Order: sequence, then structure tokens, then C-alpha cells
Amino acid sequence: MTIKLLKPIQQKGLLKLGDVICPGDLELPRFSKTEFYKEVDRILDYMEKDDLEGIRFLLTVFSFTPKFIINIILQLSQRSGGGNLILANLRLLNIGLKGIITTLYYSNLDEKGEEIFEVLKWKTKITSIPVESDDLYEHTDEASRMVKLGNEPKDFMIRAKSAQAELREISIEAKVNHLLELKEVILDSRDWIIDEIQKENGKTRSDALISEIFGVLDYLNYLIKFAPRILKDEKVHTPIALLGKKSRIYYEPLGTILIISPWNYPFYQAIVPITSAFIAGNSVLYKPSEHTPLTGVIEKILERAGFKPNWCQIVYGDGKIGSELIDLRPDKIFFTGSVNTGKKIMAQASSELIPVELELGGKDPSIVFEDASLERSVRGVLWGALTCSGQSCTSAEQVFIHHSIFENFKNMILTEAKKVRVGIDTDGDGEIGLMTTSSQVDIVADHIKDALNKGATLLSGNEWDYKSKSIPPLILENITAEMKIYDEETFGPIIPLISFESEQEVIDKCNASKFGLSASIWSKDMIRCERVARALHTGNVSINNIMLTEGNPALPFGGVKNSGIGRYKGEHGLRGFCHQKSVLIDSDSNKVEVNWYPYTLKKYKLFDKMTEFLFRGGVKNFLRFVITGLQIESYSDKEAKRKAE
Amino acid sequence: MAIGYQSLFNDNDSVDKANTHKIYDVIIVGSGVSGSFMAKELVDAGLDVLLLEAGEFFSRTNFPKKEIDANSKLYWSGGIEFNKSADLAFLRPKVVGGGSIVNQALLDRFDDMALDSFKEQSGVSFFTKESMQPWYEKAESEIHQEVIPKEHRNKNAEIFAKGFEENNYLYDSLTRAQKNCAYEEGNDCIECLSGCRRDSKQSTLITTLKSAINNGLHMKSLFEVKNIVHKTDEVRVDGIHLKREYESFRAKKLVLASGAMGNSKLLLNSGFKKSLPALGQNFYSHPQFMVLGLFKEQINSGNGPFQALKSADPNFRRKGFKLENVFAPPVGISMLLPGHGEEHQQLMKKISHMACIEVAIRDTNPGSIKTNRHGKMIIDKKLNEEDKKRKNAGIEAINNIFSSQGAQRIIEGNLPIGLHLMGGLGIGERARFSVVTPDFHLHGYKNIFAADSSIFPNAPGINPSLTIMALTKMAASKVFR
Repeated sequence: MTIKLLKPIQQKGLLKLGDVICPGDLELPRFSKTEFYKEVDRILDYMEKDDLEGIRFLLTVFSFTPKFIINIILQLSQRSGGGNLILANLRLLNIGLKGIITTLYYSNLDEKGEEIFEVLKWKTKITSIPVESDDLYEHTDEASRMVKLGNEPKDFMIRAKSAQAELREISIEAKVNHLLELKEVILDSRDWIIDEIQKENGKTRSDALISEIFGVLDYLNYLIKFAPRILKDEKVHTPIALLGKKSRIYYEPLGTILIISPWNYPFYQAIVPITSAFIAGNSVLYKPSEHTPLTGVIEKILERAGFKPNWCQIVYGDGKIGSELIDLRPDKIFFTGSVNTGKKIMAQASSELIPVELELGGKDPSIVFEDASLERSVRGVLWGALTCSGQSCTSAEQVFIHHSIFENFKNMILTEAKKVRVGIDTDGDGEIGLMTTSSQVDIVADHIKDALNKGATLLSGNEWDYKSKSIPPLILENITAEMKIYDEETFGPIIPLISFESEQEVIDKCNASKFGLSASIWSKDMIRCERVARALHTGNVSINNIMLTEGNPALPFGGVKNSGIGRYKGEHGLRGFCHQKSVLIDSDSNKVEVNWYPYTLKKYKLFDKMTEFLFRGGVKNFLRFVITGLQIESYSDKEAKRKAE
Repeated sequence: MAIGYQSLFNDNDSVDKANTHKIYDVIIVGSGVSGSFMAKELVDAGLDVLLLEAGEFFSRTNFPKKEIDANSKLYWSGGIEFNKSADLAFLRPKVVGGGSIVNQALLDRFDDMALDSFKEQSGVSFFTKESMQPWYEKAESEIHQEVIPKEHRNKNAEIFAKGFEENNYLYDSLTRAQKNCAYEEGNDCIECLSGCRRDSKQSTLITTLKSAINNGLHMKSLFEVKNIVHKTDEVRVDGIHLKREYESFRAKKLVLASGAMGNSKLLLNSGFKKSLPALGQNFYSHPQFMVLGLFKEQINSGNGPFQALKSADPNFRRKGFKLENVFAPPVGISMLLPGHGEEHQQLMKKISHMACIEVAIRDTNPGSIKTNRHGKMIIDKKLNEEDKKRKNAGIEAINNIFSSQGAQRIIEGNLPIGLHLMGGLGIGERARFSVVTPDFHLHGYKNIFAADSSIFPNAPGINPSLTIMALTKMAASKVFR
């Protein structure tokens, strides 16, 4: 149970205040000796916003006020009241503060609370009524359509389906309001979210803040601004042959989206797909990785943003539960994770033709040409390879360096890598965090050992014991194509340096990979950069930067080859969560269309002429087309009616 | 072939989806005693009714059990609200079933004194015993009533009774809407202050509201109505569901049943003050002062039926107060006890040695409800000299009672509370001085009705619940006429 609504300093103030109001004695515990303060959200959540602000402010002040002064403040404020506005506010303050503490203290919240009740000799009970007389009615109104179900996969699916109907009725404006609220909630509770990410994922606070919190807020801003436009009914061109008719595309929700996310970005990979699916009107089943479930975090945040529990349900568990959910036929599967799991999911989905979107792994190259700024490319590659301990699908995992600058690049990146600090931080000062799972540590160890066995040289990180989750930057050279580290995804803080001779050679090498997720190109020559960007068979390219296409929410993201199927984010990504319904609108009349029966020889000839005139082009032909069109229309109508008589 | 054939299309019509909300016969705002009774009457008459409630739907399986949640989940503003000078608190329920979920289900008819003063102030002719009788009977027929049998009275009630007897005051049993409380199983009614988990308390949830729902009432909970728009043949209400979704509903008629504060706030914020000058005026609250008597022996006031008796002394009635035998759970008591720190906690340790009697005054000084430009309610409500005299007379009587029973110490509660929130939409003949007509609609607005405690012209000094039921039944016939 973590407190969402008070910062640590305010919690300190709360404990102090608690000890002034409930100092305890031989029998009763002192307030700070209990855990009651952890339940304070149960009160604060229901307070008016400005009252809450006042309480927060006072608690902050109390955190550095001596207890005897808090005592005096309380004594003074208790005696006040009456006409004067200041006195009235003082009294409110007294009641508010005393109310919070005594409510926590005397509400029997846990074993300590029970002990207090025993000291007070307060014991009340109520017996239940006999079951046979049970005529309890389960009222489900529009506000609580949550059907009473268990937590079996099928129950999740039933709730998700019932939520679909609800979500269809909610306007895009109302949905945007939820996102606005969500943005605020995330902003307000970002410290807490970073705590939770850090606990499970092991990344540094800066990594969490930059890639997850900032990234999510940026994406929400994008959705808030652009989703209403992207999802609006679209008018499209109707050809002249269909004169008088209108054509529309409705962007409708697919239904229920099953989102399965990995452990490397547990917050970002939750909120971004969930909100994308939600804004398009879908209900969501979200299965986080069992390694980083962030238990309760997503629920709480969504709840505070006004999401109803069945709009997006979080289903915890491993791959087995994911597979059981697929069996229940979601309307789309949005999977981010490994290639192997992605293939299994697609195979399972194929039996019911469930559409899949797969965001899989990569072996992303960085290509550094001889004219690139050494300073910039070294620092860029260093970050791209090491952020999140190299556990990003778009981490730089192959660094191709033009042979003429290879030594310089190597020396500089070695120098810079030595300066990077490794280890978990608590204050935002850390650079490379920890690996998240020990199985991933094993893979990194395996790739390094394999490379060294096959002749590679480890230039930095020799101190690593191949077991610790705290891995220093591992820079290697003398890499050959036989090594696992050359073409398998390592997902660790590795920097394999590979020299190349020509542009064509490096393009061929990159395109030979079974992956194609993203790449970075470093060069002053912008024409070359564009030429290489077009030549690379990959999903995303950053030019003179790295991992930055993800930094723009308007750009679709996704891979080719084994890196996946489909795109998310941006206009195209958002429409991926939609069913695009085509609608052709004609008016009601007695008219019989020319392409309907009856077919006659005369109609055939007219239609033939019309086809010739329409598609041959030219002004003269167009006029002929119009005339023939009118002729055939009137003929077709008369003929049909004549036959009917 | 780029001739502008696009312009041949008549393509300007909007593709926006039309507002497809249906028009209900009646929308009711608030699901408390009045709203629930109104819903049942209207649904029984065959109308298509939507009931909107800002609070949450609980049933006996999930009423909050701990005081911390009971306060925050069942009341407005996290549990408690205050007047401008912060010396009078108001408890305003916010839950499906309203006051009937959290009250002590006390049912009393008004006496001549109350009805006469209603009639005198409002000029409304039906405020007589004879006219009200059939409506009281109809209301009473909806609800099972009991008094607490003498053998089940707890020690707090015994002190009350003996103290009254020794001081020659008259008392009587409280009539309570309850059934099958199974006191022999050792049930403690104080638990039912946050909703009765036995369904013994006859809240509207298991009486009128249940019937209405079973017969086709539409209900939307967690929906706070923010604005009313009156048109000649239709009323629209705008509100927010779950604090986020803005939604509007339309109906031919609207019944306001969100109480004195709720109704006043809603109408004020919807701009009705200009045409209804008396709106928000004459607000009363029966301020209650709880007095604790500390005894040597254990009283265990929280056990058994904690509220069984009331004063029935004509002298008290004349002096403008009544006494009730009452108690509160620990958080409540801790807020009543003055001070904080060690002394406060030592007193708390004696909670099982405390008896409690409250004096509720029939307040004479009208308060007013206003809203500021942010729509926030500001309540101006003070005790005048007469009110203070009434309070003091009551406290004197309590002192006599506790002293006669050997109390070691008598502690006056720190926090006066108004539980019966009345007025603001007073009923009356004249539009200048009242808000609701004798036909229960707003002056000048034939489609907007109210029949809850907000229409009380003054403080009756008697529990309002039964009279709200009776007036609502009377009003229902006017709504569907």
C-alpha cells in the first residue's frame, strides 16, 4: 500500500501531527508506531480539491515544525470559530487535522487498530441474516455495469465485452477528458510510479523519468490533440460514375484488445497501448509481464482518471494466462516482446483469424560514416546501447564504423564508457541501472562467452562476473558473422564495434539481418543519409540521432521481417485499433440503377459506349460520357418499370 | 478529368451523430427518502422515470464497515460540511437511498405545534392534522415499524429512562423503521449507521426504491446533476458521471429530491435566483449537541439498540428542544471530545463508561444558502439568543438526568451537528417569500417539482422523515396529473 496523495515529506508531517494528537501511553500505541498513516488515501481521496491542497500544505509545514509548536497551533485553533473568517478557517483546520488522525487511529484498520479497540473495550457486531430469507437484489445501473464475476479468464472476457457497449456510447470528448485527467494523475504521482518501476525493473530513475513518464505524457498530449481528428468520420471521394452518392469511412472500435507487454518498459508499454485502444473505443485486457507486473499501479492510475474497472482490466500471470485469453477470441492481439513468443501467439491466433500486431525484437545497427562528428556519434551510440541497460528493442546492438575512423571512435567510446556509472540510484543520479531478470543476464553472458571463444576481444567490462545484474558497458571488437552477438538479440549493455569499408557493404550487411526494427545513421552528408535511410530494410531510421523516432508520437512505430507486423502510434497506429467501416450513402427513390437487372442488348451497348467515353479521357469524351450516362439511366429506369407492368 | 464535379454533390450535411437521448416522463434528482418514494409512486402510475443519484449504490453485502470508509463513501465532501463560521457541522448523505441508509429510521408524525407553524408561515392550507392524516397513513403503510422492547434496552437507554423518571420528565419509545433486528443474537445497531448489513433497517433500498426498480425505474448512480435548463414543455438536466463524463438527460418533468442543500445549490447554480428570490432562504438544521456522561461503571453504549428513547415532555417541546438517547462510534466520539493529545486519549479509553444524550433544538434563526462564483456552497447559519436559550435549557435537563444517575463528569460535545437539513425551497402561496407552490412545483415553473425537506418553511422540531414521505406521496399525484 503506497500513499498516492501525500509526498514523503507530507507523510512525515502526518506522522508528527499524529503523535501530537495521539501520543499513546502504556496501553495505547503512539500514532507513528502504527501503520495507519498508510491508509490516509482512504480519506484524502474523497476530500474537496482545495481542502486537500490546504492539508498538504500544512503537513509540509509540520514536517519541519517542532511538535510543541504543532501542539500550540492545535490548541489555538480549537478555541477559535465564530464570525471571523480567519478564525473560522483555523477551526476548520483543527477539525480537519484532528479528523484525519482520529479517523485513522480509531477505525480499527489492522491488528494495531484491534488492540486499540480492546483497550477502549469497544466491541460491536452484527449477525448476518439467514441465507434462505435472502432476497437481495443486484441492481446494476448504467453506472455500475460491472457484472459480478470471478477472476477466471472467461470472466475477464465477459466484463470486457460488456464494457464495449458502454465505451461505444461515450463520446470522443468524454474520452479525451479521461486522458486529460490521466495526464494529471501521472504527473502528480510520477515519483511514486518511478519508485514502482525501479523496484521491479531495476532501471535508473532518469531512465524511468525520460523514457517512461515523459514518453507517456508526450503521447497522451498527442492523443488529446489529434485523436478526435484522426477518428472522426471521414468523407472520401466518390467517382463520377456514382454521381449523387456519398462515401464515408467510420473509424469504429474493434471490440476488445488483448495487450501483452514486456518487462523492459512496464509503464510506457502499459499506458501507451491501453490509451490508444481506449480512445478508439475498445475495451482492454492488459497482461503485463510476470517479471514487472507493477501490481495495482495501472489500476489505481486509471481509476483516478475515471476509468471504470471493466474498461481496462489488468490480468496478471505468465504466458499460460495469455494463451488462455487468446482462446477467448479477443478482437485483436497487441503483443510486444520476443520473436519466439510472437510466433507462438500468431500461430495460436491464426486458428480463429484474430488479427495480431507484433512488436518484436531487433539487432539495431548504428552506422557511423567517416564524416560524422565523432563527439556526437560516440555519445549517441553510447546512450543508445546502454539506456535501460540495453534492454530496449531498439537498443544499438551493432555499431558499424567506417574503417578510417574506427580507432578514433573506439578510443573515444572506451574513454566515455569508463565514465558511466553503474548501479541503482534512489535520487535520480544513476546512469546505468540493473538488468531486470537473471535469465536475461544469462543470455548476455552466453553471447559474450560465445564471442570471446570465437575470437572477439572484450575492451571494457572485464570486471563483470557474468552473474551480477549490475553489468558495466561491454565493448567488443573483432566481431564476425559466426558469433551469436552478431545477429541474435542480446538485450544487454553491449557495444560490438564492427569496421566497414563502403556504404554498399554496410547496407548489405544490415539488410542481411533477420531483423529490421530501427537503425541510426551518422554523417554530415545529408544526401547520403537519406540514400542509406531509404536503402535500409527496416522500420524506423534516426539520422544523426538514435532511438528518436519513438520520441515523436506522430511517427508510426514497428518493424519488418522478424521484428514484427503492424505499426502503432501516429495516425496509422491509432487506426490500427479501429475497424474501418466503409459506407456508401444513396438517397431513397424509385430509381432503378443501371447496373441492376434487367440486362438487355441495348443497355449493354449503351454501357459499352459509356465505358469507352469515361475512361478514354478528354473533354469531348467527358461530355459524351455525361450524355450516354443520362441516356442509360433513363433507359434503364423505363425498361425496369415496363417489365414490371 | 479535373472538372469540379465535387461541387455537384450536395455534400454539406453534417455527419455528426444526432443526440439520441430519449425524453423521459420524469427525472428525479436524488434517491433519498423523497426521491425513492416519488420514484415508486410515479413508476406505479406507469411513467417512464429516470432517477439520478450522485452517490454510489451499496447493498447489505458491501456497505462500508469501517468508520473511515463510512464517512468518506456515504457523505458529501468526505464526511462533513460546515457553515461559514465553522461552528456548525452538517452531515449530508451521498449514497443511493440517501438519509434512509445512514439514519436511525425514526418515524414521527408532526404535532399541532409543528403543523400550525408551517401553516402560519406558508399559508398552505393542508398543514393540518386532518389533511395530513390520510397521507401519514399511506406513508406508514409502506414501512414496517417497531419500538425497542424494554428488555432489549441497553444501559445507556436505562440511564436515560431512570434519569427522566427521577427528574419527573416524560419520555417515550422511539418509533423505528426496522424489522427482525434479532437483539437476542447480540446485535449492535450502531453498526447500521453506515448501512444495515442485515437489511433490518427499512431503508428505501429495501422498500420503495426496490419496488420502483423492480417495476422499471431507470437509475443512474454516481451521477451528479450540475445544471437545470427549463423549457416550456421539457426540462433538461446536465451533469457529470464519475466526475468525468458530461451527460444530459431530458424529461417532461423534473422532481428535485436532493435535500435542502442539494436542491438549493442546484437551482442557484442554474440561475433560478433571479426568478425565485426566496431561493436558499430559511434554512434550518435542528442543531444537535451531544452531551456525554462519564460513569464509574461500564455502560457500553455502543452495544445493543443504541437509540431507543426520546423525550416526550410537553415542557421541553414548549421550550423548543428534545432529548434523544444516542451514541456514536469511536471516531465520532473522538471528534466530540474536546482537545487532543494525552488528555484526549485518556478520555477515549473511558468510552465504554460513557452515556450520551443529545439535545436537538428547534432552531428559530433562519440560515441562508448561497453559492459563490465557483459554484461552491456558502452556508450562513448561526444560533440566535433564542436558539442558545433552547440549547442551554436542553443541556440543563441533561445535566439533571446524568447527575441524578451519578455521573462523575459531564462533557459537552465539541461539535454541534445539523442532521435534519430543511428549507431553502420553502413552500408557500406567495412567490416573493417562497419557492414551491402548494401544488409542489416551483413558482413560475410548472414542470419542476420538489417535496422533500427543502420545502419545509421552518424547523418543526420533530424528525422529518415520515413527513417527507407523506408530502412526497401528496406531491406525486400533482406530478403525474
